[in-house]
Order: sequence, then structure tokens, then C-alpha cells
Amino acid sequence: WFLAWMGLEINTMAIIPLMAQQHHPRATEATTKYFLTQATAAAMILFASTMNAWTMGDWNINQISHPLATTTVTLALALKIGLAPMHFWLPEVLQGLNLTTGLVLSTWQKLAPFALILQISQNTNPALLTTLGVMSALVGGWGGLNQTQLRKLLAYSSIAHLGWMIIILQFMPALTLLNLTIYITMTSTMFLSLKIMASTKINSLALAWPKTPTLTTLIMLSLLSLGGLPPLTGFMPKWLILQELAKQDLPITATIMAMSALLSLFFYLR
Amino acid sequence: MLKILIPTLMLIPTTWLTPKSWVWTTTTAQSLAIALLSLTWLKWTSETGWSTSGPYMATDPLSTPLLVLTCWLLPLMILASQNHISPEPINRQRSYITLLILLQTFLIMAFGATEIIMFYIMFEATLIPTLIIITRWGNQTERLNAGTYFLFYTLAGSLPLLVALLMTQKDMGTLSMLIIQHTKPTNLLSWGDKIWWVGCLLAFLVKMPLYGVHLWLPKAHVEAPIAGSMVLAAVLLKLGGYGMMRITIMLDPLTKELAYPFIILALWGIIMTGSICLRQTDLKSLIAYSSVSHMGLVAGGILIQTPWGFTGAIILMIAHGLVSSALFCLANTNYERTHSRTLLLTRGLQMILPLMATWWFIANLANLALPPLPNLMGELAIITSLFSWSPWTIVSTGLGTLITAGYSLYMFLMTQRGPTPLHTISLHPSHTREHLLMAMHLIPVLLLVLKPELMWGVCH
Repeated sequence: WFLAWMGLEINTMAIIPLMAQQHHPRATEATTKYFLTQATAAAMILFASTMNAWTMGDWNINQISHPLATTTVTLALALKIGLAPMHFWLPEVLQGLNLTTGLVLSTWQKLAPFALILQISQNTNPALLTTLGVMSALVGGWGGLNQTQLRKLLAYSSIAHLGWMIIILQFMPALTLLNLTIYITMTSTMFLSLKIMASTKINSLALAWPKTPTLTTLIMLSLLSLGGLPPLTGFMPKWLILQELAKQDLPITATIMAMSALLSLFFYLR
Repeated sequence: MLKILIPTLMLIPTTWLTPKSWVWTTTTAQSLAIALLSLTWLKWTSETGWSTSGPYMATDPLSTPLLVLTCWLLPLMILASQNHISPEPINRQRSYITLLILLQTFLIMAFGATEIIMFYIMFEATLIPTLIIITRWGNQTERLNAGTYFLFYTLAGSLPLLVALLMTQKDMGTLSMLIIQHTKPTNLLSWGDKIWWVGCLLAFLVKMPLYGVHLWLPKAHVEAPIAGSMVLAAVLLKLGGYGMMRITIMLDPLTKELAYPFIILALWGIIMTGSICLRQTDLKSLIAYSSVSHMGLVAGGILIQTPWGFTGAIILMIAHGLVSSALFCLANTNYERTHSRTLLLTRGLQMILPLMATWWFIANLANLALPPLPNLMGELAIITSLFSWSPWTIVSTGLGTLITAGYSLYMFLMTQRGPTPLHTISLHPSHTREHLLMAMHLIPVLLLVLKPELMWGVCH
């Protein structure tokens, strides 16, 4: 665990200068917020692993078994990636960054905590994971509805997608990885296309049609895919996740997740 | 099945590679050839009822009429769109045709699907091209709103369907239609099972549309361009009916009591939407509400689950598909000339466009279910089976038939008879293309009088 904590700290340290590159005050503010949240999360991870080592005598990552320790670690990792109810930092931080750094934040930064989450998945409290997942999907959907800034929109979409990933973690971690990969691909597409068009608000997207029709079509398709519409690829993880949930006799959870996907779809459509 | 799918997909390279002046001609010709090929599906020789099967797709007497209808409509859609798209740059015209072709492919795969999940995916997939057609090429500013209504109504109904289907797969082990028709009836007792039942049907009822959830239809129809309206009215509504017919096989015996509220909604909807038609000023809106009315009859016929009900439902779906599409084309001819859908502005056309008046006449007579046209066959079958299910339904179905006759005649008289307003004297004469379009719509309707077995489906 110690090495894991060190890795996460180095990751945070490395990305802080990248985020502070732009000398805009909003960027500095975003950097500070990010640093604070990530440092808190890392400290919590260290605390939880030490507690586990104290009570169980074990530093191994997938042997973490003390219930308080697992809960703390899960919450800390959730804070790191931005799951609800620990998501409040994500929209503002993402808004303060330029699009490339935002891309790195949404995709690369999620990989490390997810690696840890996958490893501890067997011992975590299922109710906690389900709550985190469902809340994230709903918050991601509702929060994005009133947004016009594209980066905040993508932040809320990230929260919603993370919710989907977490909820299937306890049943089939392979699907979490699948969802993560597809999400990274789609978000990268979105960020890169927005960077090419240099637009950060919905209004500026509306003028894009005459400039680059091909790119606009691409953006539209990838937005629909993010929303999870068949027959685009974005539907596949949602479908498989719902299938696993149904197999585990959790139809209500499945229906709630599906309906919250509708919320996200609404703001993608604009 | 592949014989039809691959030529349809190959239409996409055709549109993008042919030189500019030949695009419309070649696409129309090729899609017509595909439509004629699809007529070969009408020969049912297999004993199990499913023929032309591949690993995931097959046709049977229930899906074949709808498939042929879909294939037949593609050349007609392309013909109809030719005029209003021609001012646009060539690449946009090509993308429009490509969207129509994509929609066609998804529809063929939906009607030909044997796995219910594949049907579901294709059912959802048809939403995207339709949405793009409505929002990009529609005519008024309300089209964005219409597209949103369309998408969200349909999706809100179909996501519970997905969950319900996945649960079915868990319980039965398979979702193949060939197998499900032979499984034992399941024991459905608890509240959860009732919710599962509603989840299965809700998507199709919204698509049909049922009276209470029909709000998306008038908006979508009015805002869509002509090809969008045609395909919406003719085929997409039938997806809902077809899905319902497939799903109700699995849903017994719970359906006997649970269907009551939906049947009542459907029957009431026939009368209500019919009455709305009598007071409409917008021509396309009138035809849209008449669609809701006919589909209410279809929904009633399917929900009572008798053989005659199913038969009537299929016949009415096919006939309504052709006739509704014809009516939308007629409304479009008016729209292209006056750029207005208001009934009052396009009165008295018989003096100026007499041949078009003939088509108006035939289409309206078909709409009000004149014997011996297939519209009547379908309506009669449904009304009779509803009557045997409960004698009280004759009140609403009879009244509905009367009101349908009322508004169809109203539509005819308003547009054709009466004094011709002065501003319409300078309208363009009818194009041959438009006459061809109408003929190709209405001649199958007349031909089906002679051989209705093609449409009767599984119950004879």
C-alpha cells in the first residue's frame, strides 16, 4: 500500500504544474482545489492502509479486510476519481483547465485509482458501491442539465459514467474495465474535437456546422455514443452492465441506472 | 435476407459515387429493384412458419408484409423528397439519401430479427436517423422541440423494455422468437411480475402510439420533411405494433386483466383523436391524428389477443401504412406549392388540379375504410373481435368509424370542393413524378383487395 500511496502522490505532484501552466487566475484556483482534494484522498488512503496494517498485520493491497479500512479506502478512491457524493470538485477544476489538460485529467488520472479499486473490489461493502454508483449516475445526469459550459458538461458526464463503472464492479470487474476503456476513447474524441474547434460553450458549437461539417457530424455521433444510444458503441457497456445487473436479480437498480442515462442524454443532445 | 440487406447497404456507395445529375435516378431505380426483390419473400413454404432464415434473421408471415411495405416505401420516399431537397448542395442531398438508406437497413433488420434483443437494438437504432432527418431537414423552428419529444418519449418507454428483456433472458435462457413460442407459460403472480409486464409493453405502446402517450406524434409529423413523415407514419408506428405482437406471446396469462386500462385508453383515443381531427386547421396535423386513431384500433386488436384481432391488426397496419403515406404525400404537394399547411389556404383544388383530386378522393375513401379496401377488412376484423370480447366496445368503435368517415370527408371537401380562392389560380400543375408517387401508393392498396391472404399473417 505504501508504494501505491507514493505512486498516487507522485502522480498528483506531476500534474499540478501541468494544470498551472496557464497563468489565468481560474487555472491557479483549479490547481489549488485539485491539489487539496487529491492530497486529502491520498492521506486517507495512507491512513486506511495503516489502520489495516495495525489491526490485521497486512500491507498487501488485495488483502485489505478490516471493514472500516475498506470503507475508508473506497471513499478515498472515490474522492480521487470524482464519484458522487465526493464529486463537487470536478466541474470547477475541469472548467479552470484548458482542453488538453482537461483531457488528461479525465482519462489518464482515472487509470491509477481504478487500478487500485479493481484490486480491492472483492472486499468492499456492496451496498456502499451500489450507493456510490447510483448516486453518481443521478448526480451526473441532473447536474449537467443546466450547464452551458462544455467542460462542466463533460465533467458531469464523467461523473455519470464513473457511476456506471462502479456499479458493476462487484459482479464483473471485467465490465468495469470495458466501460472505462470505451469511456476513455469517447471522451478523448470529444475533447480533441472540441480542441480543434476551439469552442468551450454550447453557443460556439452551434456555429460549427459551416466551418467543419465532417467534424460536427463526428462530434454529434460521439455525443450520441456517450449517451449510450444503440447501435453506437457507447450502448455496449450499458447493455452488458444492465444484463449483469439483471442476472443478479437487481432490476430496480438497473431501471434507475437506465433512467438516469436518459438525463445525461438530454444534455448531450443540446 | 442478405439478398435484400446487402443491396440496400450498397445503395450508400451508389449515392456517393454517382455523378450529380444521376443521383436521384439511380437511387430510385435501385431501391425499386430491391423492393421488387423483396416481394419474393411473400412465398411461405416452410412448415414451422419461419422461412429464409439466417443465424439471426428470418421472415415469417407476420413480419413479411411489414418488410415488403418497408422496402416498397424507400423508392417512394426518395421520389417524394426530390423536389424539396433539390435547392441544397449535392453533398447534403447525398447525406439525406444516405440517412434514408440507413434507416431502411435498420428497419429491415428490425423486422427480420429473430432474437428479441436484436429487434430492440434495431428498434432504438431507427431513432437516430429519424431524429437527424427531423431536426436537420424539417421546416419550422419547432422541429428541435419535436425531435426532443420524439426521442425522449420513445426512449423513456424503451429503457424499461431493455431491463425486462434482460430479465427474461435470465429466466428463460434465450430470447429467440423461434424458441419462445414453444415455451411453457410462465407463472406470473407477484407485483414485480406485473411491473415486468408493463415494462415489456410500454415501449411499444408509446411507439404505436397509445392515446395517453401520443404527444410526440403530431409534433414529429408536422415538423418532419415529407420522407420523414412518410416513413414515420407508415413504418415506424408499425414497429410498435409488430413488437407488441411478438411480445404478447410471452406475456400470458397475466394479460387478461392487466390489459384493461390500455384497451380502454386505446378505444377512447380513437374517439378523441377523431374528434380533434374534425376541428384541425393544419392538414398534416389532421393526418397525424388520424394515424393515432387508426393505431388505437390496432392496439385494441392486439391487446385482446384473439386470432381475428391479430389478423385485423396486421391488415390495418399495412393498409394504413400505404394510405397514410399517400395522404402525407398529397399534403406535401400542397405544401410545396403554397408553403403553408393551413387547410383554408388550399381550398377548391379540384378546379385547378383535377387529376390530383382523383388521388385525394381515393386516398380519403381508403382512410374512411370503404369496402372492399383492405382498410375495411382490417377494421372489420378488429371491431368484430372486440365485440366478441365485450359488447360494449361497439359504442366506441362504431362512433370511431363514424368520426373517421366524418373527418376524411371533411379533408376531401375542404381541399377539393368549394370556391377556388383567387390566390391559388397561379399554382404549378402537378408533376408526373407526383402522379407516379400517388399511383405507386394506391395501386398496391387496390391490388390487395384481390389477394388479402398476403397480409393475413399467421392466423389463417
